[in-house]
Amino acid sequence: MNQEETEMISRCQQGDQEALREIYDRYQKKVYRIVYGVVRQREEALDLVQEVFIKLFRSIKNFKGRSHFYTYLYRMVMNTAIDHTRKTGKHFISSLDEEGSFQPSDEVEKGPERILLHKEAEEKLKWAMEKLPAEQKAALIFREVEGLSYQEMAGAMGCSIGTVMSRLHYGRKRMQELLKDYMGAHGQGGDTSSAPKAQKSPKADEER
Amino acid sequence: MKRVFVHPIVLLILVLFSTSIALGQAQTRIRVIQASNIGHNIDPSLRDVYRELGSLFSFTSYRLLRDETLDLILNQPVTISAHPGRSMEVSLIGLRRDIAKLRIRVVREERDILNTEVRLLPGRTVLIGGPRHGEGVIIYAVSAHF
Amino acid sequence: MQDLCSQVLKLLEKYFDQEATDKEKLLVEGHLQVCPACLDVLRSMEELRTLIKVPVEAAAREEDFPWVWQKIEREIRSQRKPTWLQSLRSRLDVSPLFKKKIWIPAVATLAVLLMITAQLIFKETPSYPGLSDVEYVESEDYNVMVYQSENQKVTVIWLFEGTEKGASPS
Repeated sequence: MNQEETEMISRCQQGDQEALREIYDRYQKKVYRIVYGVVRQREEALDLVQEVFIKLFRSIKNFKGRSHFYTYLYRMVMNTAIDHTRKTGKHFISSLDEEGSFQPSDEVEKGPERILLHKEAEEKLKWAMEKLPAEQKAALIFREVEGLSYQEMAGAMGCSIGTVMSRLHYGRKRMQELLKDYMGAHGQGGDTSSAPKAQKSPKADEER
Repeated sequence: MKRVFVHPIVLLILVLFSTSIALGQAQTRIRVIQASNIGHNIDPSLRDVYRELGSLFSFTSYRLLRDETLDLILNQPVTISAHPGRSMEVSLIGLRRDIAKLRIRVVREERDILNTEVRLLPGRTVLIGGPRHGEGVIIYAVSAHF
Repeated sequence: MQDLCSQVLKLLEKYFDQEATDKEKLLVEGHLQVCPACLDVLRSMEELRTLIKVPVEAAAREEDFPWVWQKIEREIRSQRKPTWLQSLRSRLDVSPLFKKKIWIPAVATLAVLLMITAQLIFKETPSYPGLSDVEYVESEDYNVMVYQSENQKVTVIWLFEGTEKGASPS
């Protein structure tokens, strides 16, 4: 943590709202990416960003500087997002089933078929994410969306690197099982713990 | 002159050392008993504790599953299978005059289902019971001799 | 070949996450050049990452956070100055006690304390001078009761599963 950030956090701990604004400007996109990764819905994600920074302002006095600030923040973000999904307890229903519910994106150059496919994949992904246990979901978001290292993830999740790797492995495996219909030519490639039974030809590369 | 005193001193040290080793030991008997209300049957090897068992519990049948005598050395834990699917780790953590202090851990599937420290005098028994086993419960009878 | 495949598969995720050592990287990269099956597995992971990451990146790129900071500011300001009615309400508010994470451990602690105290209060055997046989006892999965027999030759540590009856000392 650099001097500037330390000073900013210290001011925020003393109730300086300007300092919170600086933290907000610095971290809002990262926070948004994490919450969006969990809820996959814009309005919910924005509400959660708001909730996170309000919580942060209330609880930042508890941050003692023993860990990096971002691991403290990321843990708070993930817990907030996951608590939200638990509270709302939504059972996923495809909005594509409802006539007129589909809204085209602003990018008119995309054909409607492509938009539809993209929307379908996104909803399928959201459905699959909801099936994951919270810790595996968190591990996937931290790694795939934020690109945290194993060490950073261990700090943010409060566990060992071995546990991080295990959660990632099982999270990926489960997601690949759930999404096998959407995973193109690589539908069966989920299990990394056993040797492949048959070797496929390089033709699969050409299809991509 | 020095040589005259060296041998007795070495002998004294050896005697004290061996005494301290002897003092740092206790023999502990652990019996694993299945108690139930199926039938009326008392395992003959439990006759010495049957009176206590009868006065404390309302079971009609006691069967000895395992009988182990451990020679415990101070601060050296010993683990035995505590039947079924459980293990028991016993450590002698203190010994003075006629009181042995034992730490007993009963573990199942890597979880501590019991962690206790008990003081035992010769002839006294600690019964640890309650976990279900089949139609009855398991009782561990722990006693020390030193 | 199969042995090498299983060896590489165990390292593939580390490699994919750029956490592999140089030696491990060499092994994996060398094997991937000759094993389409393992390459397939890697491609699956890449595809999953793309599925998860790309929409998030796109959403974050497009997002301009309308009114988010204003709402945060307003919320913080409103929390800072409670009205006299809110102060009174918060003082009289017992609803935090009804949160599960408060009342469940509180009730459990009270139950354990009652059990232990009941043993002390209702114990028929007279207290004896000197030491108690059981110095310390804890259980992760059971409620525990400690009982001294009348003749003081036997001490019982009984583990209760929940609210079961019938298997307790008489």
